[in-house]
Amino acid sequence: MTNASHEVVKGPHHSGDAAPIALSAHSITKRFPGVLANDSVDFDVRAGEVHTLLGENGAGKSTLAAMLCGLYQPDSGYMLRNGQPISLSSPRAGLQHGIAMVHQHFRLVERFTVAENVVLGSRDLSFTLKRKNIDDKVAAVAESYGLPIDPQAVVGELSVGQRQRVEIVKALYQGAEILLLDEPTAVLVPAEVEKLFENVHAMTAAGKSIVFISHKLGEVVEISDRVTVLRGGRVTGHVSGRGSTDTKELARLMVGRDINLSTQRASHATGHEVLQIRELSLASEGVDILSNISFNVHEGEMVGIAGVAGNGQRELADTIAGLISPTSGTISIGGAMTTDRGPIAARELGLAYVPEDRLGMGLVPSMSILDNLLLTRDRRIVVDRASVRPEANRLIEQFEIKANNADHIARKLSGGNAQKVLLARELSGGRTVTKLLVVCSPTRGLDVGAIETVRRLLDDARSAGQAILLISEDLDEIMSLADRILVLYRGAIVHETPGESAQLATVGAAMAGLKTEGAA
Amino acid sequence: MRAPFRIIFEQRSETPRYLAAFVPLMSVLAALVAGGIFLMASGYSASETYSNMLSDGFLSSRGITDTLGLSTVLICTGLCAAFAFQMNLYNIGGEGQVYLGMLGGAWAGLALGPRLPSVIAVPTVLLIGAAAGALWIFIPAFVRARLGTSEIVSTLLLTYIAASVLNHFVYTPNSYFRAPNVTFPMGRAVSESAQLTPLGGTRMYPTFFIVVALALFLYWVVKRTEFGYRIQVISDSPRAAHYAGVNARRTTMQVMLISGALAGFGGATLIVGEFGKLDQGILLLGYGYAGIVIAALARNNFAAIIVSGILFSGLRVGGDKLQITTETPIHIGVMLQGAILLFALGGEAFRRYRIRAVRIQAVAQ
Repeated sequence: MTNASHEVVKGPHHSGDAAPIALSAHSITKRFPGVLANDSVDFDVRAGEVHTLLGENGAGKSTLAAMLCGLYQPDSGYMLRNGQPISLSSPRAGLQHGIAMVHQHFRLVERFTVAENVVLGSRDLSFTLKRKNIDDKVAAVAESYGLPIDPQAVVGELSVGQRQRVEIVKALYQGAEILLLDEPTAVLVPAEVEKLFENVHAMTAAGKSIVFISHKLGEVVEISDRVTVLRGGRVTGHVSGRGSTDTKELARLMVGRDINLSTQRASHATGHEVLQIRELSLASEGVDILSNISFNVHEGEMVGIAGVAGNGQRELADTIAGLISPTSGTISIGGAMTTDRGPIAARELGLAYVPEDRLGMGLVPSMSILDNLLLTRDRRIVVDRASVRPEANRLIEQFEIKANNADHIARKLSGGNAQKVLLARELSGGRTVTKLLVVCSPTRGLDVGAIETVRRLLDDARSAGQAILLISEDLDEIMSLADRILVLYRGAIVHETPGESAQLATVGAAMAGLKTEGAA
Repeated sequence: MRAPFRIIFEQRSETPRYLAAFVPLMSVLAALVAGGIFLMASGYSASETYSNMLSDGFLSSRGITDTLGLSTVLICTGLCAAFAFQMNLYNIGGEGQVYLGMLGGAWAGLALGPRLPSVIAVPTVLLIGAAAGALWIFIPAFVRARLGTSEIVSTLLLTYIAASVLNHFVYTPNSYFRAPNVTFPMGRAVSESAQLTPLGGTRMYPTFFIVVALALFLYWVVKRTEFGYRIQVISDSPRAAHYAGVNARRTTMQVMLISGALAGFGGATLIVGEFGKLDQGILLLGYGYAGIVIAALARNNFAAIIVSGILFSGLRVGGDKLQITTETPIHIGVMLQGAILLFALGGEAFRRYRIRAVRIQAVAQ
């Protein structure tokens, strides 16, 4: 998982044992109905260090962070700020103690400028905004931490990485000494991750404390001075020292067993063409979303589509699945044309589609697992649930879905289990035997254990001869699974490379729209 | 110092089953208590009023048969509101669709009735009434399915037009529906063959049993059929419906037309039943609007609508008789209806949230 190509400029090391503890939490317990989210957790962060909270989804790291910044209040336990007891009743109270959280989903007003967003919510504004003053102040704060940003830029026109920087500048502007970054890399491309890490080092060099929340092992090893691992609401390990830990050990602490996420590729030669796309273009309201795309996917082959979110991936998948009609071009599955024939026709030719949005598109949240299995199948006039139940039970067992029974409501499944239900339905074939599987971000938001299972299932499907189109923003995943990689940028395929010889730097550059030698 | 306790609302991850029946029951009870306070404040005896209502609406043999008779149309309008709501569609215009059902039924009874034997004439009246109700919702359904126009406004406004249409046919001097040679404007009675006789000495018609069977059939349709499955997918997750190739437009049309047909059917039961003719008196009765409350109290469960429809019917029958026998204002029945709706809606909070008091404790030591 560690990417050697991430050359990060490391800031001065300020995390000697001499640095004072800026914030500490002791025996923190937090209970939600039916869940013990935090079970007497201890945590502290020193001035000038990066302390990572590592854990799977549901391990309690976001809950702990929410208490550290005042969003939730602990049921028991206490917190000290510079040795003094504090009680945070709200995020504003947290801010008064210099603690701020940068959320995974940004809370910015898109129509406002950077400066306007940064000062939004400040209490020291005069009735009429003196823009020049504000712009200068914001620019000065940003500059002092090496976070260059144009205060007059409109947020809606910024990239995701830049928006994140605005959030960080906002926290610093409000006087934050301790920044909690909640899964900050989840939304970034590799180049932006590098930039973020540089910013993190600039901040720690200036004496700020960073609490870094993540479940990605590679980056955790790279950025952290110390790591606290949570599992099931409890601390399972404290690891200190940058780079001195191996990811296997962290994975074991995090999951409780050994994990294998090694590279997997097609073990045999690929067969006939299953999916053929010819000169496919899609425009919506005068904007080109897909332009002139042509490629094939063969039996037993996995083709990965890499790209930053919003470059046409979802539309490409929806078009192949027959949910959108292309403006021009053709799609055929198993030699039969499916263009403009709708989703059911595509499925009858052997398409299975795992959309990016699991609950709400792939699954109906209020329905049971059993009813969700019926969603893409041929249902008779009177729905015969009894005859589907044995198959549902078999799939629950085969795909290791954690559910009481087939009547378990989809909404109440964890992300990983919901994804397994979706894969179970799509891989098991409905109207006909599955020949082509289109999967979008199959492991996004899943924890390591579930990622391992999902990847194994995809690999099994490939070995069974299914053609797979893997569309993902997770470059690591595409690099370690796909037999062939295509990069989608602004709706066009700008780069193609075999999976085995793919270079992270080259693919990453193509994703960012930079022209490279290997460009197709 | 703050209070040592605070009240918190915790979202329930699961609604316990008993609450599904408990909350509507409690909302009826709470409405009765609220109504009782109001009665006493106005100088009436609450216990006497309620015991009179209970015996006049439910316990006396006259009372219960009147109640079941009236509930026939109320169950229909309840089903009308609930069916649309299965797909998060708000058909507020059941009232107007009842008028159209009456109009269509009256036409069938006048034009076709004389030529048909009773076994055919009565079903014809009912089906044409249902078709007329469906016709009245066709435009709202079409623009909703095609353009996404709010059906709440369009169905409601069409009710006012429906009232004018009905008045027109009753009041216009040479109207086909108007009784000839009578100075006072009133509808012309449909043929004998198109009218049912009440069940032995009561004011209750056999259509009641048809309507109960209809409610149970719809319950089965929603739970067990492909059509019901489709409705659930679309209402919960339109994008999942699109993904699975479910035709949401067509289903929207179907659901709204059926909803309108159910109200129209209710209107037609009045033609084969107690009215026997087009009657402008229907405009004052608000059966269609009552259906919305009945559906809400039953939480859109078709089987439960049978119960809530009978309950509401009893309140009205009891309330009406109260006026005659004890001079208690007739509006007590209407007021209780409103109070039940308010408490039933308020009771939703208990279904979704657990409400408890927690002790505030010191965080730092």
